[in-house]
Amino acid sequence: MYDKTAVRRRRAVLGVLVASSLVLLTFFFGDSVPTGLRAVQRGVQVVLSPLESGASRALKPFRDMAGWTGDVFYARGENERLRSEIARTRSELARAHTDARELAALRGLARLSRRVGYPGGTQPVTGRVIARSPTVWYSKAQINSGSDDGVEVGDPVVTRDGLVGRVSMVNGGSSVITLITDEQSAVSAQVMPGGSGGVVKPEVGKPNDLLLDYIERGRKVRRGTMVLTSGTASSKLESLFPRGIPIGRVRQVDPAEFELYQRVHIEPFADIRRLDFVQVLTDGPEAEEEEVSFR
Amino acid sequence: MIASGGAVARVAALVLVGCILQISWLAAVRIFGATPDLIPLLVGAVALYAGAVSAATTGFFCGLVIDLVLATTPGASSLVLTLVGYGLGRYRDLRDPGHGLVPIPIAAVATAAYGIGLALVSFLLDRTSISGLAFQEVLLTVVLNAVVALPVFALVRRVLGPVLTVDPSEPRRRRRTVREKGPIGLRGLEV
Repeated sequence: MYDKTAVRRRRAVLGVLVASSLVLLTFFFGDSVPTGLRAVQRGVQVVLSPLESGASRALKPFRDMAGWTGDVFYARGENERLRSEIARTRSELARAHTDARELAALRGLARLSRRVGYPGGTQPVTGRVIARSPTVWYSKAQINSGSDDGVEVGDPVVTRDGLVGRVSMVNGGSSVITLITDEQSAVSAQVMPGGSGGVVKPEVGKPNDLLLDYIERGRKVRRGTMVLTSGTASSKLESLFPRGIPIGRVRQVDPAEFELYQRVHIEPFADIRRLDFVQVLTDGPEAEEEEVSFR
Repeated sequence: MIASGGAVARVAALVLVGCILQISWLAAVRIFGATPDLIPLLVGAVALYAGAVSAATTGFFCGLVIDLVLATTPGASSLVLTLVGYGLGRYRDLRDPGHGLVPIPIAAVATAAYGIGLALVSFLLDRTSISGLAFQEVLLTVVLNAVVALPVFALVRRVLGPVLTVDPSEPRRRRRTVREKGPIGLRGLEV
């Protein structure tokens, strides 16, 4: 039966909900979010984070069970890859030791001070991932460490493998991390040992393939070389990330024939999709500049 | 659905439990390279059993909770899920589907519409570059959600059952067969 009142009510509800969504989008889009709305957001996070934490712990066995089948197939290929990587890393380590000794000698001769990079000058705070963004369009995660543990907005977040992201919101007992695969993420980075600098950005839908942009076409970037955070020495434009955090390895170089810059594809070291525990690098003891003397 | 405090409490519980399970558990589960997404299933199920208004409201609050918890742009998921819920609810209102397997196409459509709608809104907001793999992942999620649709819909039906005015999955009374024999003037008529 055609009920005019029901139709009006239905349309009114739809109108109110769509209008509310658009109002929220308008207020939260951009950097100047009204304080009241931000307080509501924090309130929801504070109320729900214990529930998320409990659910995350309780359901971990089921999550692991679901991942087990895929892991079995994945492990075989992974084993081969890791063996070849260990062999390569051994030779790189030997070369690095020699270079480090030479560097120390040269610094001593030239009386240069050394700027302490990662992990020096940082105090890692471990956190468990209690919530993740359910879609590929946003890459955010929530951890159970917050300002009570010394976490601050902008602190870098790492795993034992490499850079994961940075803290974008902090509450007392939880924080939100913007992952390096989030569309708003950009990390200044250097290809080692060549030193070519660029900005690491993601492409939505490709969490295992980051792009290192703004590398000049003439610069030689070899496949398999390591990409680290570059940090910045300028006090006016200090990087959010300390220097030297491993980001990933160069997988492919795209010369971009008609462009000024070449695009370098990077495979991140950290498995962004399987984060259980992360470390937030909070400000530790002041990163003092060391005077290096050659003996 | 019967408009009562009990109905609101049941839908609110579904939204809360669904969102927490999704962001704390399912978002980390990878099956064949994709992640099952409970949220469009929930909205699709509410649309099928409770109609357009309830589904639109459920979609709005599901999106809001997820966006607020993960500090993504609030309103984006809400907008898409509201429209998905309303659209599927209207389909239910107009077509009154009663087939036992109808949750499968509804789950597939809800998931696809959510994925594509969110891609569109994200692109309009941020003008970001989107890889083709993202759409491949949406497709895989559609398949996964279609596979798990029947138990999820059954669970939602069980939760909402006591407050539903009409349950489209209930077996309908069979129509009486049309008379095919007898006087010519009465054939084709129910007598």
